Parts: sequence; structure tokens; C-alpha cells
Amino acid sequence: MAAAMCVDDEAASAAAESAGVDKLDLGAAAGGKRSVYLMDCAPVWGCASTRGRSAEMEDACAAAPRFADVPVRLLASRRDLDGLGLDAGALRLPAHLFGVFDGHGGAEVANYCRERLQVLLRQELRLLGEDLGQISCDVDMKEHWDELFTGCFQRLDDEVSGQASRLVGAVQESRPVAAENVGSTAVVAVVCSSHVVVANCGDSRAVLCRGKEPVELSIDHKPDRKDERARIEALGGKVIQWNGYRVSGILAMSRSIGDRYLKPFVIPKPEVTVVPRAKDDDCLILASDGLWDVVSNEEACKAARRQIQLWHKNNGVTSSLCDEGDESNDPAAQAAADYLMRLALKKGTEDNITVIVVDLKPRKKAKSNS
Amino acid sequence: MVGLVGGSTARAEHVVANAGGETEYVRRLHRHAPAEHQCTSTLVKHIKAPVHLVWELVRSFDQPQRYKPFVRNCVVRGDQLEVGSLRDVNVKTGLPATTSTERLEQLDDDLHILGVKFVGGDHRLQNYSSIITVHPESIDGRPGTLVIESFVVDVPDGNTKDETCYFVEAVIKCNLKSLAEVSEQLAVESPTSPIDQ
Repeated sequence: MAAAMCVDDEAASAAAESAGVDKLDLGAAAGGKRSVYLMDCAPVWGCASTRGRSAEMEDACAAAPRFADVPVRLLASRRDLDGLGLDAGALRLPAHLFGVFDGHGGAEVANYCRERLQVLLRQELRLLGEDLGQISCDVDMKEHWDELFTGCFQRLDDEVSGQASRLVGAVQESRPVAAENVGSTAVVAVVCSSHVVVANCGDSRAVLCRGKEPVELSIDHKPDRKDERARIEALGGKVIQWNGYRVSGILAMSRSIGDRYLKPFVIPKPEVTVVPRAKDDDCLILASDGLWDVVSNEEACKAARRQIQLWHKNNGVTSSLCDEGDESNDPAAQAAADYLMRLALKKGTEDNITVIVVDLKPRKKAKSNS
Repeated sequence: MVGLVGGSTARAEHVVANAGGETEYVRRLHRHAPAEHQCTSTLVKHIKAPVHLVWELVRSFDQPQRYKPFVRNCVVRGDQLEVGSLRDVNVKTGLPATTSTERLEQLDDDLHILGVKFVGGDHRLQNYSSIITVHPESIDGRPGTLVIESFVVDVPDGNTKDETCYFVEAVIKCNLKSLAEVSEQLAVESPTSPIDQ
């Protein structure tokens, strides 16, 4: 069963207390330290993608720095926020969005997800921010994120199938985005100063490197996963082993955006994980199964962490670039993403490969990174 | 709507109109003699498009991708397209196969019969043989087409007859649904489409 992590209020408070940065005028905690909810969070990422040995390129990826502001009530309880002297109703945190979309049967759905998901998510976050202001009791934050992502992914799937209209240019379009056998995975991460929130649909994957160890933020939707198989069979479907376990003997994943020929067995509902950030977070890796089929979580974490450190060690003089809040790819994270992509190629993956590495370690000017 | 009739694993999923007519077509044109280790099945699709449009799509042995969504491309070996010709089909991603080599067994433009046999590929469908026939019918007072597709195939090691039929039927249903969509779209676009007949 999927063990989605819930917001740990104690960890969030602990993170706030250990922020260890200069005092700020607004909303300073009792200890005189800046709240984790008020820290800036520069986007630091790299993305590498290749067709690999495949004849087609059906992967897509998205990086949207500061794509939306997240209402702080989605990240902490009112009680905790009040305790920190923060305005629970008004405070919003800048957030970045990263996503990997592995298409099959064609690239149309993956490309559509790359462009459209961030628009839908931004809209929903804005609306939710207005709603939260009117909620006095503390509803579980995880439930809000589940509802938010489930709604966005369902809307995305409805637009892909033509069941919901979409704007193309200036015209309302209601024809399907692609044929009914085209679909895509979607693994996305919302990163802000206090939390990482991951939503996953399909068999791409998000892994957090924390204290040199991998933490799974998503669990692959494979048809032979016990709960997925049970769900499919309860609906009258079949999981058949045909060069691997497949829905109806055809599709090797149990959830996706698109693939309407396999409805209602293949659904677009994501599984959501919300984790508070920690001091010993190294980086976040999102990738398609072209990477994960041949590289373990442990190996990927170790390699990414090492490549980032190596880059900073070799480029100490220019490390201040990171402090400028540059909104483009970070060279150290890019080096890590490139390395992982080449590693997967070397290990013989047959599929497209797409890797995003997000550096989560704050790096100071002139500070030693060894 | 896809109906299922005939075959040793016949399952009455739907009550289909004109059952008598279909049964007769199946009896005469869709004869397979499955061996012990084989399974067989027959599927039916009613399409609101005239038979000549549907048949033109079905008979395109060199261009199955015109209506089959799982086909990426197709190359026919040799110059002459005739019974015995071979085609190499490349399959789109998302399926448990990448290629299929197929032989044209039967092509009758008068009786509207297409027969194809799989002779190679990585799909695990050994000795797969299919027959597709199309027949004129009337739907809501307009010219329509009854499509019948039947197949017989070896049951691979590790799978059951039920599983094998279920898998093949899922692919055929998708193909027939697409055939309906493509030919109905052609019927709408065709300026010679008769309203009365």
C-alpha cells in the first residue's frame, strides 16, 4: 500500500527553530531566528533529456521557477503559524514546479502535460488561497494537496480526451489532444522553502536524497502492485503477464494521463506525498523509467550528490552565481542531471531518458563545500 | 459498440441486432479450426458509414496505420501487392511488442474479405491468423457497414486461453473503434455521401 508521508508539524517547527539565519523584522520567531516560511528559496535545478536508443522522443519535462505562490495554510496548521507570529490567512510562499512526463503511443499527451499542468495548478492554488481564508478549522493539509492535484490531473485527462474543452489559440477546442492509445506519466514536484510536495501518476519517479540516503517520494504505478491489481480487477479488468505485467496485457502502467481506450482501468489519479524540508536534504531527483530501470535509487542519489559537490569544488571561484538567484539552469545541478543521463545510457537502457535534479542544499558565498 | 459472437470462447457480451445475418456470415466466412493449444474469438462492429469507405480502409494491407492506432509505420516487401505478400509492421510504444511480420493470405474485393497471418515479430502471437469481412447494412435508414473480425492463435507458454483472447480482443476492439471513427469521419467529409438510398 502506498505510504504517503504526511506533514510532520513537529518537524516543521524543528526546521523553523533550526533555520539559523539572521533575524528578520517581520514574523520573527521567539528565538529570534527567521522562520523557514519566510526564507527565500532560489530555484536551483538541472534537466537532461535524450531519445536514447529509441526511435522516438516521447518524454517531456517542465521547470517553472516561481510558478505560483502557495498559501501557507497548505503547509502548516494555523496553530503552529500563530505560534510563530505569522499571519496564517495572508502569507504565501513562492514555489517552483518541476515535472517529468514520459509519453507512450506518441508524444502529444506528454507535450500537452508539460505546458498545461502548471497553468491548471497555478489557477487551483490561487482559488484555494481564497477558499482557505474562510476556513477556520484546521483541515489536514495533506487532504488539500490530494484534492488539489487530483482535480488538476483529472481536468488534464478530461482535456486530453476531449471531454473538457481547452483553449487553443483563441478558440475553444473540444477534440481529443491525441488518439486513444496515446498517454503519459506525470511526476511533478512543488518546491518551496519549507516543503517538497510530490504528485505522481504512472511509473516515472521522484526520489529525495536526504543525509546521503534515498527517500522515495513516489511509488510506481505498476499493474502488479497489489492494490492496483485489486482496483483494476474490482472494475472488471484484467492484469495479464505479456512481456511484463500489463493492463489488458497491453499497458505496463496502471495509471496515466490519456489512454482512454483502457478506461476505466487506467486512471489519472495521482498519489501525493508532502514532506517538510530538512537541513540534511541534498537534492531531489525526478526521472522517467529510462533512468530508474537501470539505476537504483541509492546509486542515483550517490551520483547526483557527488556530481554537485564535485562541481562546486572545481568551480569555487564562481559559486557566487548561485546566490544571484539566477532563474536558469544551475550548472552544478545540470552536471548531475547530465551524469545520470549518461549513466543510464551506459547501462543500456532502451527507453527515452529524462532527468531533473533539484539542488536543495543552501550554498553560501565563499563557504567551503568540501 | 463491439459485439462478440461465435468461436470456442464465445461470450454474449451484448445482444446484437440482425443476429441471424451475422451468424450466417460467421458460419460461412469465419471458419477457424482451433487446435487444443489455441484459442479463437470473433468480434462485431456496426459502423455508420457506407461499405465502400470501410472496405477501402480495411483492405489497405500496405497502410494499416490509416485506421490502426497502434501501428507506427508499415513496409511491404517487394513491388507487387498480392496474396502471399509480406509486410513489416512497426508498433508504437506502450505495447508489449515492437514489430510484426505479416502475410496477406486472402484479399477478395467482391466478397470484401481480408485474411492476414502473423509470420514473425516479438508479440508472442504464434500462428496468429485473422479474417476481416465487411457487409452492407442499414443503420437508422442510412447505409452502414457490419464489420466482423475473427482470429485464431496459439496460447503462449505461461498464459491461459482466457488471457490470450482477452489481450487480442482488447487490441482488436481498439482497432475497430478507430475504424469506425475514421470511416464515419470520411463519410461526413465525402461530398458523394448519399442521404437517401
